[in-house]
Amino acid sequence: MLANQLARKLYPEILRGEVSILLLSDCPDHYYKPAFMYVAFNLYFKEELKRPERSLLRPEIGFQVEKVTRFDFAGQRLKTSSGKPFSYDFLVIATGCLPAPERIEGLQEAGDHFYQYDPARQLAQRLSTIEKGRIFISVSFPQTPNVPHQCGIAPVETTLMLDDYLRRRGVRDKVEIIYTYPTTAQLLRNCLFLQRPTGEILPAIFEQKDIHYQRGFTLSRVDPDAKIAYSAEDEAQPFDILMATPPIRAVDAVLECGVSQAQNDEGWLPTNHETLQVYGLENVYVIGDTVDLPVSKAGGSCHNQAPVIANNIAAEIRLGKPVSVYDGRVQAVAQMGLNAGMPLWYDYSRDVQPTPPTKIGGLLRNGFNRGLYWAVARGML
Amino acid sequence: MNMPEDVSATPGYSALMARLQPLIDSGRLDNIVDLLSLVSDLIDLLDAATVEKLANVFEEVTASGWAAANTLRMTRAEIMTQGKPPSLYALLKLLNEEDTRKGVAVVLKTLNVIGRQL
Ligand SMILES: Cc1cc2nc3c(=O)[nH]c(=O)nc-3n(C[C@H](O)[C@H](O)[C@H](O)COP(=O)(O)OP(=O)(O)OC[C@H]3O[C@@H](n4cnc5c(N)ncnc54)[C@H](O)[C@@H]3O)c2cc1C
Repeated sequence: MLANQLARKLYPEILRGEVSILLLSDCPDHYYKPAFMYVAFNLYFKEELKRPERSLLRPEIGFQVEKVTRFDFAGQRLKTSSGKPFSYDFLVIATGCLPAPERIEGLQEAGDHFYQYDPARQLAQRLSTIEKGRIFISVSFPQTPNVPHQCGIAPVETTLMLDDYLRRRGVRDKVEIIYTYPTTAQLLRNCLFLQRPTGEILPAIFEQKDIHYQRGFTLSRVDPDAKIAYSAEDEAQPFDILMATPPIRAVDAVLECGVSQAQNDEGWLPTNHETLQVYGLENVYVIGDTVDLPVSKAGGSCHNQAPVIANNIAAEIRLGKPVSVYDGRVQAVAQMGLNAGMPLWYDYSRDVQPTPPTKIGGLLRNGFNRGLYWAVARGML
Repeated sequence: MNMPEDVSATPGYSALMARLQPLIDSGRLDNIVDLLSLVSDLIDLLDAATVEKLANVFEEVTASGWAAANTLRMTRAEIMTQGKPPSLYALLKLLNEEDTRKGVAVVLKTLNVIGRQL
């Protein structure tokens, strides 16, 4: 998305041979990660949620499959696992984040999640066969203050999808769903969602669907044999399926680059809220899930960060300093159950104002998942 | 229309009615209401499978248009920078480049698939 926008913005310089753009990725394919959520409900095939990265890039952009293993910021170079070094004048780090269930004792063995393809398939297997019992939903936040987990609304989305899915399967009355939220959620305490207005409407939505909910459950340990989840608040909760939003962290090369000041070795890069430059480094920007910003780690954030970075790099080249400012805007259409959707947006200063989920919202989300997203990735929308 | 006084007195209601009045007077409001019901019918008719098909067509059309525009733009830019037309030898050399051979294969295969559908 950003590479395409940069290529368009810097086209005159590219034509004159003064600028070249190179994208390195450790994977030849680009995954539409939100679709992993649908994989958990058997609604998406792997083949449908990825495209060859090359096919999404303008031809002026070079693309090489290379895993970056080390950032040498002083020398303006990157080292890769193939041994090939790459130098840069401007660098944008967009390596995302990784689920780290191993950071909570027992979670890797006993928990399930939908933040990657294979775990989502395993969860789908469990959800499609459970006949009765208790599905326990937990959410873990990064320990770095005021940094959210990936895609803030995903736990609510999947809880509502789960309710619909089990009703479709005809087993909902025999399966208890319990949604929990940790004591600390960014700046809020003892809530059900990381923003107050949305958190306040959730009890009514959950009660209408007979979904149980509990505040103040910070997952600290799981006993895989007894199938019990323990909280930092000293509570024990049994489960048949533990559908968790696990801890997350930056990728190894970012963790090891020594620039992050994040707690718990999470690796988020210190990000200028406005210009999206990495503090303390020259000519280095960061986008997406690797930032330490308070806004959602979401594609809807990348969508608004990309034009700011493209403008700022073009301005640095042409005027010698960045000119554009990110206002924290994030927009998305939340999947509220299998059929309904709720368009939402917010920024640094305004929270989401929830509206009633609608069928049109659901159709819009489906259309975005299946088609519009690829036009966004190509930088067309 | 008989509206409770507190509703008809709201500025929003008055502003809306002022905009609607010409449509009501000329009988054209009926068209707007009919159009709304048509839109509503279309939404009722749409289901996940139809949206998926429409979204796939959207992607196919936009991706093909995008690729064609990219190709034209880049080819034009490269030819323009050369100044004078390429020599026959340069053309033959170009023909032997891997990317050209891939492109020629796409063109020939496209003709082949067109033929298959005749
Ligand atoms: C289940 C789920 C549901 C979601 N739902 C939504 C939603 O509804 N709405 C929304 O807006 N967002 C949603 N998101 C979040 C969204 O997918 C991410 O925020 C977005 O993908 C982040 O983009 P990114 O470029 O930072 O990272 P990624 O998309 O993770 O891309 C990182 C890229 O870097 C590459 N890479 C990693 N390490 C290296 C390395 N060392 N060297 C070279 N390449 C490397 C990877 O291969 C990958 O291609 C969801 C995410 C998940 C998992």
